[in-house]
Amino acid sequence: MDSLVQGFRDIQPQMRKNEVWRHVDFTSMLTDQLLLPKGERQTVEYRCNIPDLDAERLVIENGFFHHPQQQNEDGVVMAGLKDICHRREEFVRQYLGSCTPKQNPYLKYNSEHYTDGLFVYVPDGVRVKRPIQLQSVVNAGHGLFLQVRNLVVMGKDSCATIIHCDDSYDNAPAFANNVTEIYVGQGAQVEYYKLQNLNNSTGLLNHTYASMEQGAQFRSVAITLNGGHIRNHTEIRMLGEHCQVQAHGLYLNDQEQEVDNYVFVEHAFPNCHSQELFKGILDDQAHATFNGHVLVQYGATKTEAYQSNKNILLTDKALVNTKPFLEIYNDDVKCSHGSTIGQLDEQALFYIRSRGISERSARTMLLYAFCDEVLKQIYLEPLRERLTDLVKKRLHGELTLCSECALQCSTPCNGPEAHFYIDPSKL
Amino acid sequence: MLNSRKKHIGHKHCITNYLIQQMALLSIRNLHASIGDKEILKGVNLEINCGEVHSIMGPNGNGKSTLAGIIAGNTKYTVTQGEVIYKGKNILDMPVDVRAAEGIFLGFQYPVEIPGVSITNFMRTAVNEQRKYRGLDPLTGAEFMRLMEEKKKVVEMTTNLANRSVNEGFSGGEKKKNEIFQMAMLQPTLAILDETDSGLDIDALRIVATGVNKLRRPDNATVVITHYQRLLDYIVPDFVHVLYEGRIVKTGPKELALELEEKGYEWIREELEAKK
Repeated sequence: MDSLVQGFRDIQPQMRKNEVWRHVDFTSMLTDQLLLPKGERQTVEYRCNIPDLDAERLVIENGFFHHPQQQNEDGVVMAGLKDICHRREEFVRQYLGSCTPKQNPYLKYNSEHYTDGLFVYVPDGVRVKRPIQLQSVVNAGHGLFLQVRNLVVMGKDSCATIIHCDDSYDNAPAFANNVTEIYVGQGAQVEYYKLQNLNNSTGLLNHTYASMEQGAQFRSVAITLNGGHIRNHTEIRMLGEHCQVQAHGLYLNDQEQEVDNYVFVEHAFPNCHSQELFKGILDDQAHATFNGHVLVQYGATKTEAYQSNKNILLTDKALVNTKPFLEIYNDDVKCSHGSTIGQLDEQALFYIRSRGISERSARTMLLYAFCDEVLKQIYLEPLRERLTDLVKKRLHGELTLCSECALQCSTPCNGPEAHFYIDPSKL
Repeated sequence: MLNSRKKHIGHKHCITNYLIQQMALLSIRNLHASIGDKEILKGVNLEINCGEVHSIMGPNGNGKSTLAGIIAGNTKYTVTQGEVIYKGKNILDMPVDVRAAEGIFLGFQYPVEIPGVSITNFMRTAVNEQRKYRGLDPLTGAEFMRLMEEKKKVVEMTTNLANRSVNEGFSGGEKKKNEIFQMAMLQPTLAILDETDSGLDIDALRIVATGVNKLRRPDNATVVITHYQRLLDYIVPDFVHVLYEGRIVKTGPKELALELEEKGYEWIREELEAKK
């Protein structure tokens, strides 16, 4: 086993004693099949199957960013992190690591060993019209141990939408310990969409750290459709007044997949607002964890913070550990937290069936309706439509004939997408 | 065509030729039902024929919605005694979606919100699943849209409303209009409307009632559950039943509704006690 893989593996036992990392155990995935990336490049062109999405597409292939540096007429810079570090070191050093005041060994490991990543700089007052799409693809033909570091710097009053996709290309095992830092300047707005559709032998520890200045807005939606073991570790700090945070997530998992969402939101100044909604459907022996932590500091008066996690378990063996958690040191706040683990609403089921719709179709419809609350949070329309379709396909069960399916997707089911499904009849 | 008829006859649930036997469309005999330990229906008897409109009135909490729920197939209630014969067959063991495909429709007192499912998709699924049950081919997109356009007129529904999620954020009036719209789409043989008039303003009441009247045919029947005579000004019943303490204690012509409106239910109670 490579010494870096071994080193990472050795951190784990100690980390699991920490409440925040308790359910994080990638040991079974950190095998000697994993090699360090050497800049393997394939001749394939990575297409994105989101119809009608006009985005600036950038690919990180096997841990390396191969595009040349780009700077458009508004001064927006998109480049490889290693490259920009080399050429504009002083500038990058101001921001790199600035969003991660609290260190943890996994983060440190990435800081020390990252291979490359995406760097985005949006100058003050620039509103980036086309969404920036970052595709992290694993396609080396053998197992890979990856550490990617991305940095996004949003200038004052700037605005951008970022789509971050993690895709597997084949069935080779992989493990990635990726870090994305997003610095949101004063009054800036960021929409950040994380999409994960990985094979079952891939592990992903996905850190997102956001630091927000006064009046900044940050929205993130993480959609996990498939993946062996995924941990979305998100830490958001509001370092000025009137900030707004929305962190939402949806996970649909089956077999022995594990998904773990950790969201830490810090309210350090008055008049900030945060909202979290995480929903999940678990089939087979899938395991999900939700760990939400909202910290309201002494000075953070007029804070509003809402936290919600809702789950549907389809089988007796599916498992959810959920812990919505508020830590409040101020009296003048409005906060709520809650979580539910349950089955479908019987009344709604009766209503749908009373129109002549079979029990199976009715359940599928309600499962989709359950997901829709999160999907609605995706404001980028082509992306929402595509994800809506993927969720529908994930839920469509064994109904391979589109005309018989209750959901009526806008594109027909075909190819390998239809092979994974969550079976509503087990409810 | 021939093929689809074969399927129709061959289906194990399909009820046919009840009309030939000249039976009532719905016949409820000595129906007792409870929810949990509480007995709600204590021996209901009711006969409904095709072409008729029946109104069921009565004070709150006396079993009107329970009766509607049992006919539609809500498993929340336990039937302890009696039978419900629809088209000549006891339907108590039939699942709710099969009853719907057999032509029973329940207009809900509190229609349920289903976010994320548009009315169009909801109805398309319902219409096509019912058609499949009857051995018919599903409607194509164009055929379905045409049907929908036609039926939207029945309740003066706007296109905007039809594209929204089922009942999500609808006003009371919109929800009830949507119920009648669904009834128009599904063309049931037996429609039970549970307090369709509650929460409606005068205009919405007129639209809903006119819609119900437009859907009346000699081969279907309607049961209207209501508290107020006002709805019956628009939907004129052939029979008015009073459901009181789990039994139908009085049946009369449409004038009975006027009498109830004027005198309340107290005199019914007195009349019952005098009988005892």
